Amino acid sequence: MAKLKLQINGEEIETEAKEAALLLDVLREGLGLTGTKRGCETSHCGACTVSMDGMAVHSCVVLAARCEGKEITTVEGLSQNGELSELQRLFLKHGALQCGYCTPGMLMAATALLRRNPNPGLEEIKIGLDGNLCRCTGYTGIFEAIQACARGQ
Amino acid sequence: MQTNKHAKGRGFSSVGKPAPRIEGTRKVSGKALYTADTLLPDMIWGKVLRSPYPHARIVRIDSSRAKLQPGVMAVLTASDIPNVLTGRRLQDMPMLARDRVRFIGEKVAVVAAQDRDVAEEATQMIEVEYQELPAVFDPLVAITEGAPQLHAELKSYKGLPKLASSINNVYSHDQWRIGDVEQGFRDSDHVFEDTFTTQHVHQSYLEPHSSVLSIDKETGVVHVWVSNKAPYQTKQSLSDAIGVPAAKIVIHVSAIGGDFGGKGALMDLPLCYFLAQRTGRPVRMIMTYSEELMAGNPRHASVIVVKTGVKRDGALVARQVRAFWNGGAYGAMKPIPSVNLPGAVKATGAYRIPNVRIDSYAVYTNSVPCGHFRSPGLVQLAFAGESQMDMIAKSLHVDPLDLRLQNALRDGDPTPSEGKNGMVDVKCREVLESVADSANWKGFKKSPGVGRGLALSYRNVGIGDANARLSVGPDGIVSLLITYADTGTGAHTILCQMIAELLEIPLGQVKLEVGTTDCFRFEAGTGASRVTFVLGQAVLNAVDKLKALIRDWAAAMLGVSAQEIALEKGRLVSKRQRSRSLSLAQVAAAASASGEPLEVESYHEATETPAEGVFTACVAEVSVDTETGQVHLRELNTVHDVATILNPVGHQGQIDGGIIQGVGYALTEEMVMEDGRVVTLNLGEYKIPNIKDLSPLQTTLVRGNAGAAPFQSKEIGESAISQVAPAIANAVYDAVGVRIMDLPITAEKIFRALRDRNPEDDASSREVVPGIV
Repeated sequence: MAKLKLQINGEEIETEAKEAALLLDVLREGLGLTGTKRGCETSHCGACTVSMDGMAVHSCVVLAARCEGKEITTVEGLSQNGELSELQRLFLKHGALQCGYCTPGMLMAATALLRRNPNPGLEEIKIGLDGNLCRCTGYTGIFEAIQACARGQ
Repeated sequence: MQTNKHAKGRGFSSVGKPAPRIEGTRKVSGKALYTADTLLPDMIWGKVLRSPYPHARIVRIDSSRAKLQPGVMAVLTASDIPNVLTGRRLQDMPMLARDRVRFIGEKVAVVAAQDRDVAEEATQMIEVEYQELPAVFDPLVAITEGAPQLHAELKSYKGLPKLASSINNVYSHDQWRIGDVEQGFRDSDHVFEDTFTTQHVHQSYLEPHSSVLSIDKETGVVHVWVSNKAPYQTKQSLSDAIGVPAAKIVIHVSAIGGDFGGKGALMDLPLCYFLAQRTGRPVRMIMTYSEELMAGNPRHASVIVVKTGVKRDGALVARQVRAFWNGGAYGAMKPIPSVNLPGAVKATGAYRIPNVRIDSYAVYTNSVPCGHFRSPGLVQLAFAGESQMDMIAKSLHVDPLDLRLQNALRDGDPTPSEGKNGMVDVKCREVLESVADSANWKGFKKSPGVGRGLALSYRNVGIGDANARLSVGPDGIVSLLITYADTGTGAHTILCQMIAELLEIPLGQVKLEVGTTDCFRFEAGTGASRVTFVLGQAVLNAVDKLKALIRDWAAAMLGVSAQEIALEKGRLVSKRQRSRSLSLAQVAAAASASGEPLEVESYHEATETPAEGVFTACVAEVSVDTETGQVHLRELNTVHDVATILNPVGHQGQIDGGIIQGVGYALTEEMVMEDGRVVTLNLGEYKIPNIKDLSPLQTTLVRGNAGAAPFQSKEIGESAISQVAPAIANAVYDAVGVRIMDLPITAEKIFRALRDRNPEDDASSREVVPGIV
């Protein structure tokens, strides 16, 4: 086990984990932040997506030890002072979620996309969310929510 | 007793509005609790060892080395647990393989450890000596006399359906007859017989099967959190498996990360119990996605033979369908009493056919045990039947649309599914005409490599039972308590909308709570497209009871008779003196203060499927690259026969999701098997559609006035999938003249078909010489 200093959702957190611990496990098991989901664990489904220094990464294949010095944001960090982010509100409005399991990952990937590119076209949204699978929604609601967010609605 | 005949007009205040999901805020905040999010103190991991052979005798298991590993807390094999077979209906599946294994992936041993990696590594130290046995993978081979008999003890199994057959390895044979097909074929001008095959596909819910189990040290009560949408059945199954009375088991219903029919079986729960019992610690088991793809309970692969007799004018005279379901090594995953697939009864399609024969065989093979997946059986059968309709149309030189219109079901036409009186208010023709219109079928200008295909299907709601408890608090909040899990369909939101509508209160004044299996005695659970129909009705009945109770209280408080009280916009008003009124909160507060809080309970059971069909049609437009065989889906037009739409966002979401599952089924998804071994063991190789695969989808709704479910609504959850694959298959044929009769429709298959095509072939249906059947 080794000590880890991580920056999660704006907070400095000290925790302990095995050397080879994955960020996903540290978040969920170590820190009880279960918003980030365990899906395929082979970096295909994106249910585990978090933001690392503004980039969307699959936490199931990121070593926690490599995250020292980086800013990690999870879905729990999207709302500010109990207020949902605009993207979260638009996800609700546009039916961008059903079972909700892919949703934290989708939100993190979409947030990272909009940070990089505040006005993405259809193709850019497709590329930005290429690493996130959804089985329920057929993606249409997700598109609409992201486009609405980009339009500033 | 409130019926579903509510407010025939429009002008609803809550029902029919695009209300955001009531559980949505929790979901977008990462606060919704799925099974694996239940973190109990001192919880340990369970990991299984699985069989590498499709069929083998277990000669010897030596787990001594595994037991000695530091951190390993228990290692169990079949000899450590009761000799009990499990199953949702047919109980034919051991919890751990006892003397033999019957599929690659069958559980042989389980290890518990604090650390997940330690548990996993220890499984590899368990030595198992196997003696391989001849295996069978093809259902058509499995049913022959010489094939290995996979379940010698079949007749002793509990839950064996009466439809069990004497055919080798067939454990269920469902059949339907109307008229006389042999005579029908003799009366036909043309008889066509074609064989279609479909692949195993996985539901691919993002949340893998997860189980958490804890035994209360003082009371012995078994607490369960599990990704399972049938908690009461599961509680009973678990009780039977572990030998603990059902009254001492509590299932805490969790949010479920996608189900699509795949989350109803016991899976790892019994093993969690035995490990918890052995170690004194709470246990969790979460399947890896490789395990899901290897040993979940996917959609049955199938071989389907369709034989159809027609008159030269296109009238269907007789249709015989034989469906051979590759059920895998165990029937334990199938929930209906016949242990067959519910879609089989609609095998002959949405057509008026005077002579019909359906034989549906569930067959044992040495591959993964299969279960239910969105419209089970019908998806496979629609691919076969609707492909053949186009092949017949081609042979008769008629437009596939016209052939379907000519034979489309009408009110009162007998069907195997609805019986001799058929259905009422049938919208089959309207749906066909609508899709022809919205897709501009007749006006389509063909260009090289581009084609269109059409398909038609129908289904209906499911039956079952449900409980609802409704109460009003002194704060005026109306609370609904149910134990039907949220699997993502949006059912919970619809129920709240109904309550808000009937009590004339804002949606925000309604709260929904999901309880445990201690709340009610029993109910069927989510699935079978029954939730809005059955649980919705239970909720309506509860609202009726609550209204009566509230009126009585208000009457007493205002000193008038109950008939004098009207419910208007959430207030109880004295009709004679309208200035005298009470809020729900006031009535609830008074009732509470008197020691009789406002609470009602309702149990509803629907035992008969309504004589109603929900018709859907789809036109697919594709372009095919003749050099590579690659199919590009240009557009899908889908039409649905609806009445009241309870929540338009949720409704369209079910269509969007179902359609794209149909696209995956048609084009990209296949659990590739090599001698019973699933080769596609991650979501990179098992390809479900991702966001880049999104094709333009036009939805058209054919609106009627009548629906069997509450507020005159109709089924949608399982309607938007079956017609997609045949529409695409028909479009590919239209585009490049090759007929793919084996799913999925891959570039390789098209390429080979184009390359091997004899210019004289016209890929029409194989015509059997008339008179020879």
